[in-house]
Amino acid sequence: MNFPKELKYSKDHEWVKTEGETAIIGISDFAQDALGDIVFVNLPEAGDEVVAGEVFGDLESVKAVSDMLSPVSGTVAAVNEELADTPEILNNDPYGAWIIKVEGITDIEDLMDADAYAEFCKED
Amino acid sequence: MSKLKRTPLYDIHVSAGGTMVDFGGWEMPVQYPTGIVAEHLYTRSDCSLFDVSHMGRILVEGTERLKYLQYVLTSNVEALTLNSAQYCIIPNENGGAVDDAYLYMFSEDKYLLVVNASNKDKDLAHLLPIAEKFDVKLTDISDEYAAIAVQGPLSRNLLEELAGGELTAPKKNACATVSLEGHTARLATTGYTGEPIGYEVYMKNDDAVWLWNRLAGMGAKPAGLGARDTLRLEASMPLYGHEMGTDPSGKEMPIYAVPLAKFAVSFSENKGDFIGKEALSKQFEAYTRIINKDFSDITVLPKRIMPVCLIDRGVIRGGMTVYKDGEEAGWITSGTMIPYFDFEDEFETSKVGKRSIGLAYLSSPIQRGEFVEVDIRGSRLKAVIPQTHMSAKNPPYVHPVVWKEAK
Repeated sequence: MNFPKELKYSKDHEWVKTEGETAIIGISDFAQDALGDIVFVNLPEAGDEVVAGEVFGDLESVKAVSDMLSPVSGTVAAVNEELADTPEILNNDPYGAWIIKVEGITDIEDLMDADAYAEFCKED
Repeated sequence: MSKLKRTPLYDIHVSAGGTMVDFGGWEMPVQYPTGIVAEHLYTRSDCSLFDVSHMGRILVEGTERLKYLQYVLTSNVEALTLNSAQYCIIPNENGGAVDDAYLYMFSEDKYLLVVNASNKDKDLAHLLPIAEKFDVKLTDISDEYAAIAVQGPLSRNLLEELAGGELTAPKKNACATVSLEGHTARLATTGYTGEPIGYEVYMKNDDAVWLWNRLAGMGAKPAGLGARDTLRLEASMPLYGHEMGTDPSGKEMPIYAVPLAKFAVSFSENKGDFIGKEALSKQFEAYTRIINKDFSDITVLPKRIMPVCLIDRGVIRGGMTVYKDGEEAGWITSGTMIPYFDFEDEFETSKVGKRSIGLAYLSSPIQRGEFVEVDIRGSRLKAVIPQTHMSAKNPPYVHPVVWKEAK
């Protein structure tokens, strides 16, 4: 399992990368492996508000649907349009396939660094 | 958690990286590292191995075995000849299903009844007291034999190579006892994938371990319960607990709600009386009216199982409510996103599509070709009742029937 050092991770298995005022959000290698084949992604639209700890979309695998919880509060600046037709990129390249970009961040959850997150996954 | 049971193939699943889950009290692989989508597609293009050793297997012997089975099953057991199999339902007095099953005749003096793993105890509790009134003996042989489903276009070639010749009569529901490189196997051209070519093989536990490894060495790949479910769903085959048993509101579903009932229920004179016959006769009358588009009296068959295909973007799941013209019309009973090879005439694997399809328990007047709406977490999305999801009429490959809006 791969957890890049430059990213931060949430308890709900999202990764967060901060670029200036923007937070880029995706799901971790652990999350994609646990979900299995991801076949559909329900995304918000640019301009939507997201709230830290609340649902901003969902991921569907063959087996089940799972909510995605936002690690930050702010406004959706962009969504990864590629996911509409090729949701499997979340399985194949979880750190390349970002899900949403959020700007105007007003709140952020407590996030873990890669080592703490690796420990957290062992217990989960 | 009580201790889960393991099949003789458990170690193989673990060493192949299978994700093991609790399935009806058994520790079974839901998928292998390749994933459900790849396992589904490999079954359609090549050949997959499924461990179905968890299924309940009951041997039925005794001088009144035929009379007994005629009474406790819906099918005409007399029509079953040596080396053949038939699909049947274990009915209750109300015309509901205790379980669905497959009955095999591998030898003249006994029958093998294969039931759902999670229903086996319930089935035996239902069947054994009735057996006391007949000269019949029921033996649970589930632990002595393993079962492997070998399914897909290459399955016949692989098994024939091991048998050194022809396996069974070349038709569905044929059985034979054969030697596979010296290992005795009882095999049948049955399965739960919709594949036109596929086998279920019953062997002693050690022999099954040998067969699994041998076939894996020849190019067959393991597939788990996840792919087993998407494959049966694409083939519109019912699963007890979803398309049979009780509906999402807790009401018992009549046997004739399942399209397969017309093949599984017999009112033949030779069959005589059987459990639920009166209720099933009434269902059959209602079914005949419904088929003739007469909906004047559908009290005993208010809803039936139909295929359903989502047109809008999303994924349908079991339990979701279906609406027709704004009115509640039933529920999705099984649904997910299912991959398919997108090809015209010549089979090819270069293009893979995916579609959200499933089965639904819908008001009986709803016809194929009609549109419905599915409530997916608060949004009503457009869906259609297609003719079918796939066709197995041109072997060796299954042809997906993908719904397209009429121009």
